[in-house]
Amino acid sequence: MKAGDLLRIALLNLWRRKLRAFLTVLGMVIGTSSIVVMVSLGIGIRQATVESYASYGSLTNISVNSWRWVDNGDGSGTSTEKKLNKKSVEAFKKIPGVKVVMPVITTWGMLKSGKYVSDASIMGIDAALAEEFGIELGEGRYPGYKRGSSNYEIALSQDTLNWFRDPKTGKEARDKDGNPKVTLGSRFQLTFDYNSIYNNQPARVNEGFPTDDEPPQGQLYRVSAVGMTEPNTGDFSWYCLMDIDALKKLAAENKAFVSLDTDNYQSVIVKCENTDVVAQVKAAIDEMGFGTNSLQDMLEQAEKQLQQIQLLLGAIGGVSLLVAAIGIMNTMMMSIYERTREIGIIKVLGCRMHNIAGLFLCEAAYIGLFGGALGILVSYGLSLVINLFIGSSGFKSVIPPYLVLGALAFSVMVALFSGLYPALRAMRLSPLTAIRSE
Amino acid sequence: MEQKPIIDIRDVIKTYRVGSVDVQALRGVDLVIMPGELCCIIGRSGSGKSTLLNMLAGLEPATSGQIIINNQHLERMTESELIVFRQKNVGFIFQSFNLMPYYTALENVAFPLSFRGVPNAQRLKRAKEALRVMGLSDHMRHKPSQMSGGQQQRVGIARALVTDPEIIFADEPTGNLDSNTSDEVMHAICDTMRANGKTLIMVTHDPNMAAFADKVINLLDGRITDIQCNARAKIG
Ligand SMILES: Nc1ncnc2c1ncn2[C@@H]1O[C@H](COP(=O)(O)OP(=O)(O)O)[C@@H](O)[C@H]1O
Ligand SMILES: [Mg+2]
Repeated sequence: MKAGDLLRIALLNLWRRKLRAFLTVLGMVIGTSSIVVMVSLGIGIRQATVESYASYGSLTNISVNSWRWVDNGDGSGTSTEKKLNKKSVEAFKKIPGVKVVMPVITTWGMLKSGKYVSDASIMGIDAALAEEFGIELGEGRYPGYKRGSSNYEIALSQDTLNWFRDPKTGKEARDKDGNPKVTLGSRFQLTFDYNSIYNNQPARVNEGFPTDDEPPQGQLYRVSAVGMTEPNTGDFSWYCLMDIDALKKLAAENKAFVSLDTDNYQSVIVKCENTDVVAQVKAAIDEMGFGTNSLQDMLEQAEKQLQQIQLLLGAIGGVSLLVAAIGIMNTMMMSIYERTREIGIIKVLGCRMHNIAGLFLCEAAYIGLFGGALGILVSYGLSLVINLFIGSSGFKSVIPPYLVLGALAFSVMVALFSGLYPALRAMRLSPLTAIRSE
Repeated sequence: MEQKPIIDIRDVIKTYRVGSVDVQALRGVDLVIMPGELCCIIGRSGSGKSTLLNMLAGLEPATSGQIIINNQHLERMTESELIVFRQKNVGFIFQSFNLMPYYTALENVAFPLSFRGVPNAQRLKRAKEALRVMGLSDHMRHKPSQMSGGQQQRVGIARALVTDPEIIFADEPTGNLDSNTSDEVMHAICDTMRANGKTLIMVTHDPNMAAFADKVINLLDGRITDIQCNARAKIG
């Protein structure tokens, strides 16, 4: 028997019992859509989790620090230190799967613009690598530095820019309309001397050191603001940025105010080629005796918990699909009882055994296919409604293409499976029933 | 010139077990039929006519004995082999027509060809020709419910012939028809079988119908009591 004939006859058989076929398909629609919607919620929640983690920073980054916590296994542990320096950076670069490595130093300083002052966390970066590490700019460019020059550049953070206020009165640097008086175009000076900038100098003098050994006054450096970081984009968005060498030089000149170890790095960020290698790169760095942290790690923990939710959601959807599958089986059995005679006739007329089974399996597959396809359409609608009315940033329904294909294949498989027993029954029916008069 | 028999059965016994009682439907039947013969099995109700016919058509296994049809031993075949055998060798005409009610006459006649993998265009061509032979050219688009009993049975005959089998079996093909239509259908069957040189095995309980046949087999309580040969067979 030709496959085309088989498909056509099976479709005709369904069509002859429209209402029942429709009801069975409806069962399959409900089954498929409930499982798709449930799974889509699982996917949506997972995606939201990944997104929220990704907004804290890049998932391919590993942050390395010099302190390593060694767990003794009984709740206690010891910390061991291993210095992070140029040599360690070179070592990290050699680990397979590592894309780029960026050392990080951070410190604290004060920016002055006119009579207004703001506090700034400053991170030293390598302008060539900054973008790669997800340090995003809202406007302008990354700060650079020509070795030895006294021309300093800075990229400001939104927070720092907003914080400018008069240290005497505490008033914000805004005009009466609320517009900021300090903008990127303003002139800025940077210092690390907290006391003098906030005019606390007298207090120190009054403490009475009767020497001419005046406490040194921190220098004010002219800096030009060349850009602004993009707020809320990850690990680094609250930092003002300066070139790492420039920052090191300033820190060295201000040893009295900042205690920054300029020979070693506080931390090093290692960027991996993709999320799959993060775990193995992390293990390699751990092995060297450094402490490591990665978002990927935390995300994996969170995903483990999510898996249980997904399983539960899937199971809820699965129950309705099971009911639909039983519906298919019931429909097929019914139609075999009704068509006992017809099956006998076509057997006498020379229909092969496997073709009879094939006819019934085809009918089941059609139910699965139509039910699955309609179910997917319904799922899209439901998903839209969920996202419009009860969705939130952490709770949403996402139907990726693979779920559509998977659901379609799954519903056809479930239908075929339900049709298997009825098909075998039909195949084994005796042709004699057709000959015996009713 | 010696011709080989198309049907050759030896000592066929069929026993049905109903509860704890054995019902002997056939108690040792021997029968030889030559190609092109029109045979009629007659006998009282319950004498085993249908049982014998079904066995010859490979629809039912014998309890014991040999059934050789067209040089093949049916008693050694599995069910799928029997279906293939029927596909190639056997056509069937039913008492209650057994047409598919939702198919037209044309589709009904073409139906068995689809099980044999014949392409659709050729199916329709052969079905049209078979219907034309049965004088139903004007009824090809009719559903069974739009045709008389006699017309329906002629569609049934066309369906049995369309696959061009060696042997055609018919179990009381006129049992559901009134006597006028019966005669007409019986003529239709016998004439086309003769014209095509087919072997026909037909069951009937009406002795008048036996007049159409070359060979009349009398069955009583599962045994052949008598075989009459009509003169026509010698000529044909
Ligand atoms: N499937 C069956 N189960 C039990 N007994 C059967 C079955 N088929 C036929 N018989 C019995 O076998 C005998 C012959 O039946 P059958 O061949 O149908 O007779 P006929 O066609 O000549 O009227 C009858 O006694 C009938 O009751
Ligand atoms: Mg009978």
